[in-house]
Amino acid sequence: MTGDRPAPPAPLIDADSAGFWEATREGRIALCRCDGCGTWLARPLERCSRCAAPTSFAPVAGTGTIYSYIVVHHPAVPAFAHLVPYVIALVEFDEGPRLPGILLGERGPGVAVGQRVRAELTTFPGADERAVTFRRDASGG
Amino acid sequence: MAVREAAVVGIGRTAFSKSSGRTPLAMAAEAARAALDDAGLRPSDVDGIIDFNTNDSASGPDVARAIGAVDLGLAMDVQGGGNLAVTVVGQAFAAVQTGTCDVVVVFRSLNGRSGNRYGRGDRPALAMRGDMQFAALNGYVIPPMWIAMFAQRHKHVYGTTDEDFGQIAITMRKHAAANPHAMQRQPIDMDDYLSARWICEPFRLYDCCLETDGAVALVVTTLDRARDLRHTPIRMAGFGEAHTNGGSWTNFPDLSEMYSAYAARRLWNSTGLRPADIDIACMYDCFTGTVMATFADFGFCPKGETGAFFAEGRATYGGDVVVNPHGGLLSEGYLHGLNHHFEAVRQLRGHAGDRQVPGAARALVTAGAGPAGGALIYQADR
Repeated sequence: MTGDRPAPPAPLIDADSAGFWEATREGRIALCRCDGCGTWLARPLERCSRCAAPTSFAPVAGTGTIYSYIVVHHPAVPAFAHLVPYVIALVEFDEGPRLPGILLGERGPGVAVGQRVRAELTTFPGADERAVTFRRDASGG
Repeated sequence: MAVREAAVVGIGRTAFSKSSGRTPLAMAAEAARAALDDAGLRPSDVDGIIDFNTNDSASGPDVARAIGAVDLGLAMDVQGGGNLAVTVVGQAFAAVQTGTCDVVVVFRSLNGRSGNRYGRGDRPALAMRGDMQFAALNGYVIPPMWIAMFAQRHKHVYGTTDEDFGQIAITMRKHAAANPHAMQRQPIDMDDYLSARWICEPFRLYDCCLETDGAVALVVTTLDRARDLRHTPIRMAGFGEAHTNGGSWTNFPDLSEMYSAYAARRLWNSTGLRPADIDIACMYDCFTGTVMATFADFGFCPKGETGAFFAEGRATYGGDVVVNPHGGLLSEGYLHGLNHHFEAVRQLRGHAGDRQVPGAARALVTAGAGPAGGALIYQADR
């Protein structure tokens, strides 16, 4: 049921990032990691920016910490206009890279930098791919 | 090939509005003609043109032809954001210094309000590739969101208050009151600031710049020639840029600072000057949060103390340095930062009228926010 709601903006997927999206289609979150030195790469690359070894997409635990967050009040993005106010958190995964995502079920009050969150995959209406979103981890404060 | 000295000799602009009803080409041509006329040069003197855009403007060669300059030794259309407002001027100076060109026009022209609006997320102005492809599906696609994310981190690290951001917005509006060209001149106080609606927390309405239609142009030529032209030549006394971390808004290492934490070293190392030598700081103020971080990064005050600096009146007339005497992007209008250069040149010539900063000898102009940007220092050739 999407009604007339516009789709969210689409990612520009390329050969370097295809593995991330292949994983999300299978319901997994996997980030780019160097096969040689083990460095996690926030920006997917064919070869590691540190040691130039090949990379692959490795599963992550799906847990992380709120590094920063915003509360969106002005409905600038039509796909999410019905949600305002809503929270977008910039989450530092325990493996290192940061990803931004909607903090589901939150409207601002009670959200703070440093809180623990768990990542999940959400298919927003009209989107061709699954988004990485977050929920506050009830057990982890 | 001898390196020649260069100077800004002409400035021009159109009216600023919410609905120009004109093409970016027409506005760019008007601003370029005005800048050449201001310098006392003719369109046929132009042999270089440089602009920046986000696929929302006219090309340099098209603008040059529109004013009758059909044979150019250099034409650069640079794709990207406000960080380029210093880059394009630096490249114009370099083109003249190396002898590539003798007369270079630099312009930015856009229908930022009636055309493609950067504050709207239905058609993101910037491509969602690289790290940003992970942001797209969550709608994390527009500058107010990205820079609010920096501002929230700044609050966390330094205990920055809403009022600290408000001091910047209030000061810009106070300065714009003396600027007939400004889009918003009605003064605001802290109650106005705090009672305005939220846009993207921690930003309220007055934390955000004014999407604007219009064009600004500068003319750069050799210092030798400049000394025979109409106005006091404006030279460059320092320059430094920083393009960091691949331009990532999400994985920039420390969101309580910006590109300026890197560019400051290059800027001050390029000159014998210090922040205390600067009379006017045209700080790129797409949002108050940008000034909050970059003003301290460039060394005008310790990190975390920008709000207090503004609150104590040190960023206005009679203080340490006048920040954005024209009202900045927050109150004059968002000409993507090229209007800061226009103001700096006018002030250093002593032509700023009611808002003239007395005895202004040097002006800093910054450009950009987040991971990429730069700054330069202008100095009058007296």
